[in-house]
Amino acid sequence: MNQLPTTTGKVIVCDGNEAAAWGACLSRPDMVAVYPITPQSSLVEYLAEFIADGRMDADLMDVEGEHTVLSVLHGAVLAGARTYSATSAQGLAFMFEPYFRTPGLRLPMVVSLVTRDAVSPTCVWGGQQDAMTVKEVGWIHMYCETQQEILDTIPIAYKVAEHPDVMLPVNVNHDGNYLSYGVARVELPPQSVVDAFLGEKQVNWHACLDPERPMAVDPLTGGAGGIGPSMFVKYRKGICAGMQDALRVIEEAHEDWGKRTGRYWSPLIEEYRMEDAEVALVTIGSMTGAAKDAVDTAREAGRKIGLVKIKTFRPFPAARIAQALSKVKAIGVVDRSVNFGWNCGPVFQEVLAAMYAQPVRIPMMSFIGGLAGADITVEHFATVVERTFRLAGGETAAGPVWLNEND
Amino acid sequence: MGVAFDSISFKASLCDGCGDCMTACSEAKSGASRISIVPGAKAGGYEAALCRQCGDPKCAQVCPSGALDKDGGNGVIGWDAAKCVDCLLCTAGCVYGGIAVDPNVSRVAKCDQCDGDPACVKVCPTGALEFRKAGSIFNEYGAKEDLFVPGLSGCQGCNSELIMRHAMRKIGRNSVLATPPGCIPGMGSVGYNGKTGTKVPVFHPLLTNTASMLSGIRRYYDRIGRKDIVVMALAGDGGTADCGFHAVSGAAERGEKVLYVCVDNEGYMNTGMQRSGTTPYGSWTSTTPVGEHMKGKTQDAKNLPLIMTAHKCRYVATASTGYMEDLYEKLDRAIEASFEGFSYLHIYSPCPTGWRIPSNKVIDACRMSVDSNFNPLWEYTNTTGLRFTHSPDNAYPITEYVKMIGKYRHLSPDQLAHIQAKVDEQVALLKLMAAESSPPPAAHRAPAGASTPAGAESSQPARREIARN
Ligand code: SF4
Ligand code: SF4
Repeated sequence: MNQLPTTTGKVIVCDGNEAAAWGACLSRPDMVAVYPITPQSSLVEYLAEFIADGRMDADLMDVEGEHTVLSVLHGAVLAGARTYSATSAQGLAFMFEPYFRTPGLRLPMVVSLVTRDAVSPTCVWGGQQDAMTVKEVGWIHMYCETQQEILDTIPIAYKVAEHPDVMLPVNVNHDGNYLSYGVARVELPPQSVVDAFLGEKQVNWHACLDPERPMAVDPLTGGAGGIGPSMFVKYRKGICAGMQDALRVIEEAHEDWGKRTGRYWSPLIEEYRMEDAEVALVTIGSMTGAAKDAVDTAREAGRKIGLVKIKTFRPFPAARIAQALSKVKAIGVVDRSVNFGWNCGPVFQEVLAAMYAQPVRIPMMSFIGGLAGADITVEHFATVVERTFRLAGGETAAGPVWLNEND
Repeated sequence: MGVAFDSISFKASLCDGCGDCMTACSEAKSGASRISIVPGAKAGGYEAALCRQCGDPKCAQVCPSGALDKDGGNGVIGWDAAKCVDCLLCTAGCVYGGIAVDPNVSRVAKCDQCDGDPACVKVCPTGALEFRKAGSIFNEYGAKEDLFVPGLSGCQGCNSELIMRHAMRKIGRNSVLATPPGCIPGMGSVGYNGKTGTKVPVFHPLLTNTASMLSGIRRYYDRIGRKDIVVMALAGDGGTADCGFHAVSGAAERGEKVLYVCVDNEGYMNTGMQRSGTTPYGSWTSTTPVGEHMKGKTQDAKNLPLIMTAHKCRYVATASTGYMEDLYEKLDRAIEASFEGFSYLHIYSPCPTGWRIPSNKVIDACRMSVDSNFNPLWEYTNTTGLRFTHSPDNAYPITEYVKMIGKYRHLSPDQLAHIQAKVDEQVALLKLMAAESSPPPAAHRAPAGASTPAGAESSQPARREIARN
């Protein structure tokens, strides 16, 4: 959905990391904590530069590692700050301990994940293994397809995170290398538009550290018997409810953003040429562009094929996916990461689970490509299209298909 | 709650029964003596019957007319002659014989401590009677609000609870407190299942990130102009010296305006007494046990406060509950420094449970750890360098300290020699650092009126006390 903008923002040419930095800048966080890691480094350099130039009025905390990045932001949010950071792969892994507790504390934060494959074997290039590994923790995960979508999704993410019905942290994910360094035309919405969209920040009204409002934050909860476990269950159910409410809030926020900027991004999933499709591809992130080209080519050859792009991966829009895919004869799901132990990609497994509730069993096939920074080309997608049609024709699914194996 | 007053103490071992005190008292009061020296249970010994100025006085409880009343100001139980109906019930009510009958007038004779200058004490030739002003410092501390609830579930005699209560008394309500996993939240600072034990905003950070999350709080409060809030940690040694060290070191390097108090009980105590980076050489712990092949911890402790001086912190000090005035003075300076930069206070905290000390001997152990130079008391600022606040000279041998503590029970002569050598080495290094440092400017000396900047004077009587026990 890359229609031209209707607002009269400044147009620049930038890569995805700079687009993310602009998205953050326009959202006016009070505190930014950073630690560099490939392929995120230039993003935090942009932030530092914005702050140094006075373009961005935020406190920059250059700290000793990602564990501290998220920890200082925990403190800042509890004191009342809107915060931003970004990381990748090993940085995310080092951040995991505070990462794990962010949703439990219901801290509305936005952190960009510049997705990357995770070691070992040592690899500093793109992939989505990092983000997919933390999908069950309670953060909202949104994946972007283009540089413009990255920029726009960051203010949208703040709106979602700080919504009283949600109060959960959001990762805005963009593919390392491909989007982080790829350059495109990007429109900067006017600051006034973003300010009006976001309104007053809603950060620490529920849990705060302030001598004016003394409270104990995060008491020990649980243990055998009595009120403990049931309190713990209440917290857990609260996060589940926040996640489910987020499906609605994400749609509302995208709609509102669309009205103000003219850019209506698909909030949960995007359906592309699905009207009469007999076969469907499922994609996530930047690979979608090449996949759409492959769909167009197949359509030109008279083949009824469509595509579903997943934008919001957590909460998983299972009902919307099932609705979109319920009439096709075969589904090919392309992943940029691996689900060890299931011998498939993680997105494949999620779609499989969503489709299980359907009365009809639709054959599905897992494709894994774009690991370690490899491009997923139109040719790769031609293979995906071909194999998925063969699946529809009755061929047995044998997966996963490793797209880059013989590159 | 927690109020203590001046008192007259009597040491039976020094009394020779001369009765000068009684004479002096009856002269001063123009009537019967309010103190009676009587033969003691031990042959040749004496006991004194005198008013203890009880906190919950039985004399006042039995008095039907309200003539006896414990005055809130100085703690002395006052007698109102006008209200008294001369029933003398109070003389029977006091088990100490603290209220006498003056036979000349058949009215009670009640000690009033002679307005702070007792006649009896002045004449006592042996020093058996002493007017102890020491209680006045506790009046000062006791008057401050205890910011923890009474029902914290620390072990009996826990020194960490003492530190928590006193540190927060000094720091006060305008603070944000972080208590990472360990004994301090374990006893209920953050609370359990919705309850809290602390009256200031309190957070239970990760074991690993206390200094980091405090940095975030402080930075934001500075940003919005709330610069007077003390942002502080009460953390254990594990979360400070071991897995939390990157955060402490990073925050110190950045000069974050945080007060970081490390309560060092030399191990992971609330999880079952495992060794930490500050566990001293030779200690028994559950992960450095004593057996055929291993005799306690085989490595020396990390000297964390010394490491912090290398971070050029605004303020670094060691302290002990064995020397409370020193601790309170250091808290003052640490708080002040925390508005300028990273402020680090390392407080030694014997753990009666994990170290195998009887709970009534914890403070003795605190004192001996200082007096044997096992834990020397010093402070450091990034402008004046290091100085001792308690003389490290004429220290007891380390054997006097380790024999008080069960976790060292197994030590061999070789191990003891190793510990003594390390203690001597440490003091020599500290002395070198102190000698290299310029003398502290006035601002860093003890505030006027506090008489023990070097701690030496106050330490000497204490040493004699322990030596006698
Ligand atoms: S202290 Fe004063 S009032 Fe008390 S017994 Fe001695 S002289 Fe009497
Ligand atoms: S004699 Fe004692 S009990 Fe009786 S009224 Fe006087 S003070 Fe009270």
